[in-house]
Amino acid sequence: MRLRTSPPLALLAAAALVVISACSPGSASGGGGDPKSFEFWSFSGIDQQHDVDVYLRDHPDLQVKLTEVGSTTETAQALTTAIAGGKVPDLVLIQGDDMPKFVQQPQNFRDLRESGADQMKGDYLDWVMEQATAEGGQIIGIPTDVGGMAVVYRTDLFAAAGLPTDRESVSKLWPTWDAFIETGKKYVAATGKPFVDNAPTSVFYQAVNQVSQKYYDDAGNLIYDTNPEVKAAFDTTLKALEAGISAKISFGADAWNAALPRGDFAVVSAPAWMLDQIRRAAPDTSGKWDVATIPGGAGNWGGSYLAIPARAQNPEAAWNYIKEMQSPQRQLEHFLDVGSLPTTPAVYDDPKLTGQADPFFSGAPTGQIYTQAVLGIKPFHMGPDTATIGSEFLNALTNVEQGSGNPATAWDDAVNNIRTAIGK
Amino acid sequence: MTATLPAKQVPSPGAPKRAGGWTLPFRERIAPYAYVAPFFLIFGVFGLVPFLATFYIALFEWNPIGDQTFIGVDNFTRMLADPRFWNATSNTIRIWLLSTIPQLAIALVLAHVLNHARLRAAVFFRMSILVPFITSVAATAIVFAQMFDRDYGLLNWLLGLVGISSIDFVQTVWGSHLMIAVMVAWRWFGYNTLLYLAALQAVPRDVYEAASIDGAGGWQQFRHITVPALRPIIIFTIVTSTIGGLQIFTEPLLVARTTNLTCGAVRQCQTLTLFLYEQGFGRYEFGYGSAIGVALFLMIILIAAVNYLLSTRIRGEGR
Repeated sequence: MRLRTSPPLALLAAAALVVISACSPGSASGGGGDPKSFEFWSFSGIDQQHDVDVYLRDHPDLQVKLTEVGSTTETAQALTTAIAGGKVPDLVLIQGDDMPKFVQQPQNFRDLRESGADQMKGDYLDWVMEQATAEGGQIIGIPTDVGGMAVVYRTDLFAAAGLPTDRESVSKLWPTWDAFIETGKKYVAATGKPFVDNAPTSVFYQAVNQVSQKYYDDAGNLIYDTNPEVKAAFDTTLKALEAGISAKISFGADAWNAALPRGDFAVVSAPAWMLDQIRRAAPDTSGKWDVATIPGGAGNWGGSYLAIPARAQNPEAAWNYIKEMQSPQRQLEHFLDVGSLPTTPAVYDDPKLTGQADPFFSGAPTGQIYTQAVLGIKPFHMGPDTATIGSEFLNALTNVEQGSGNPATAWDDAVNNIRTAIGK
Repeated sequence: MTATLPAKQVPSPGAPKRAGGWTLPFRERIAPYAYVAPFFLIFGVFGLVPFLATFYIALFEWNPIGDQTFIGVDNFTRMLADPRFWNATSNTIRIWLLSTIPQLAIALVLAHVLNHARLRAAVFFRMSILVPFITSVAATAIVFAQMFDRDYGLLNWLLGLVGISSIDFVQTVWGSHLMIAVMVAWRWFGYNTLLYLAALQAVPRDVYEAASIDGAGGWQQFRHITVPALRPIIIFTIVTSTIGGLQIFTEPLLVARTTNLTCGAVRQCQTLTLFLYEQGFGRYEFGYGSAIGVALFLMIILIAAVNYLLSTRIRGEGR
């Protein structure tokens, strides 16, 4: 970025959008439009193209323009700028963590109750639906999948370490996070190699999603600094770090993808949506993996929603797509093809789902394992700063993991950083 | 970027004013304005308006998809009390110094060598040094990030061969700064070399030949001919490198792209523009982001002014 204009380019672009939006007439109610085509923004890595292809196979007369904008965050950012003044898509996929910010401003989205979403909402998990419902009752998103949690492990490496390898016995190794850490110590002692990819995402992000209240209480007040459940998850993670079982490789880094096929760690906490990433990062390790239950009981990390912006040109076409493709039956088919977990409990007993055996993961019944993980969930309130608070906690723990942070002050550092970041 | 080449091209003030006054027909009087109008129109829409809007938005708590509340200078007071702002400022300045000084020094020496009369395949070398500059900055950052990786990087593998244990460049302050500075320097040294070379071409070969005959070695020629001849263009590259250096964005963004725009767990390589981007587009606080933008603008103006004062003094001494 070496430009001769002085003010930073990104801000200029933003300001330009804002200025343009200030001049454009505020047409809040999109309507009519072309019922035969719509524009769809998704993030990459979740294979929405598959769903679109299925839809177009049944409706050859329709047209769908799918754009994979980028990562989940990039997609939410693009949507934000589009809402602020650009051309919005007719349909957009929003990740669960990005949802609270949009739910706070429901006027930017079509209230899907008008299209009949209130009749459908009973089909979906209550707490998932709750997170897409604004204070005034507007429903701005229909959930496409949830991120039930489990632990994925390498059977060959477990065998080499003298640990059991079948998924029932492995699940019994770690009913709690403390037991998980103990197992990790045994593995490290036997092999001399790290056990888990990293503690901040594989321990903290899982444990902190198994609470009854997270960073907000049920009334929406901030309690991140006083909630003992959050502190406990944080301390458990510090304990895992002290035990020296972590490979210290951040999830999502290039090194993570490089370490996976090499067996540089034996265990990853993997929500349902991560299975496909593991499969693609290490195709040669097929059959060497298996799936065990998560320590500490049920929990959820991630999941996504489909929403229709208020200024959409062709909202009818977009809604028809949601209605058809997010029906329980279609979500089941999507799971069987791609692997992300349905949000519709009606299909959780379906023999097709429970009978699904994934050969890459040694024939693990992923449908059964992951649905069990989400059925036991105690839902908690998500607020506008949930994502920011989470990443500040994560950063403080990563700092300890990388050897620069002091575990004794890590909690205070994290709380201070959060105060600076969100101003309260 | 348009290169402002040495001051020689500026017309002398004594040139006769042929087109002056009201004697010309209207069409001819208006023509020059018509020729420059497209630039100023585009600049107005995409440069000036957003620029002024930045100052305006900085006075608000501005949610791009929600409410806008006027809060006066609150964003600025908050910024001055924000440790993250000062951290980003010091990171930016350190990375800028780390990259600019070696970069310009290498460019100067390279230009001197490439200008040498007896260099074979000069065109090949002159073209080659520009390759880093035309390489996509994203590709550069990704390749360098892999080279500097703690566990699987080429650099740590080489260090391992000589018995030095792995260095985690991204997670340490100096390591991440060094890594980004190397990237920036690698990308820009060729561009600066070409600028220097272009200026050197204007120096008559006879000067160097005469120096050779008088027995001046390469180093003496470099010190007493090359550097003085390049003085104005050196000042120019310092100014442009300063402006660019204060806006380093893509490299830190891509180096630590798994850490949510903070460039590391403790923001160890977060530059000012990245901090601005984090606030504006990561947290959707356009008002606060704009305030940071205004601060950055003032900083650049300040440094440019200091540069200008220094450069006029250096020129004055040179004459």
